[in-house]
Amino acid sequence: MSDTTNHPMLVVLRHAPHGSSWLREGLDVALVGAALGKTVNLLFLGDGVLALRSGQQHGPLGQKGTHPTLDMLEMYDIDTLLVDSEALTQRGLTVADLQLPASPVEAVSLPELFAQHSPIYSF
Amino acid sequence: MLLHILNRSQSSSRVPLDTLRAMSGNDRLLLIEDGVYGAVGPLANVFAAIQGRVYALQEDLASRGLEDRRDPAIELVDMDGFVALTEQATQTVSWY
Amino acid sequence: MNYALLVQGAPYSQQAAHSALRFAHALIVRGHTLGTVFFYHDGVYNASRLAAPPQDEPHLVEAWRQLHEDHGTSLLVCIAAALRRGIIDEREARRHGKEGYTLEAPFELTGLGQLIDVHTSHDRLVTFSP
Repeated sequence: MSDTTNHPMLVVLRHAPHGSSWLREGLDVALVGAALGKTVNLLFLGDGVLALRSGQQHGPLGQKGTHPTLDMLEMYDIDTLLVDSEALTQRGLTVADLQLPASPVEAVSLPELFAQHSPIYSF
Repeated sequence: MLLHILNRSQSSSRVPLDTLRAMSGNDRLLLIEDGVYGAVGPLANVFAAIQGRVYALQEDLASRGLEDRRDPAIELVDMDGFVALTEQATQTVSWY
Repeated sequence: MNYALLVQGAPYSQQAAHSALRFAHALIVRGHTLGTVFFYHDGVYNASRLAAPPQDEPHLVEAWRQLHEDHGTSLLVCIAAALRRGIIDEREARRHGKEGYTLEAPFELTGLGQLIDVHTSHDRLVTFSP
């Protein structure tokens, strides 16, 4: 992977909150990457866009959820949040419905986005 | 060139569609595990646009009794071929 | 090339761990090195020393251990994912006041930072997920 050492790291988040631990464990990889000095960008793809929905709550059994982690991203200098525009539309959401400012990405830009990142972790 | 490794089929999941959206014009797609169910019959038509860059893992088709039902546009690879595909790609992305 | 694998599927529940092992053996046969296998998410269950599969089924835990013995592959288990799921070594068990332990060498509990480091120390990272 030596030819791509200057690329930022990409963490692709494809799972919604609460139903599984994929989102939390993916965010943990992003935080650790940033803590180790990597430039980390996040792409919320497919169901992953639901991670950004504002108004999420803790689970009834005290599960923490992932929304508090999102508020920590800025502290870790993770400030490029990319959100799958098509997936938002499919779910009747717009960027105004999100907890954090995120940049919509059109489907046509996705391949280039993947090509410009290394490593890519997909959760 | 990226190698996308997919273990879901379009009969039960939208993940293959997201995989296709993320693929650039020279990326390759390898179907493994339950992903090979998408290599069979009319279902495989979803891969028409990337013909010539789609592979399916032979041993996963064989264990499922589907080796002879593979769409001919999808190339068979064995485990050795899987490793070779990862050598040729700059990195791999797994979709599940 | 020096390969690393990220295994996120629990043994016997999904095919991911089986696929990862098949791939591990194939890359070694092709002359590559398997430097590291990193276990995350439900993949941490691959490290359970108490796994007792029927004798006519592949013994996944044993197969990982064998990779380490034959090829020096590091078997790294994410500590945060593991402790939550009851995969715990002797030292951590003592620290948490628990009797017994479920993880032993050559598996090692380690931080997620090791997964990030894998990218710089290996040529390829291939993920096997459920």
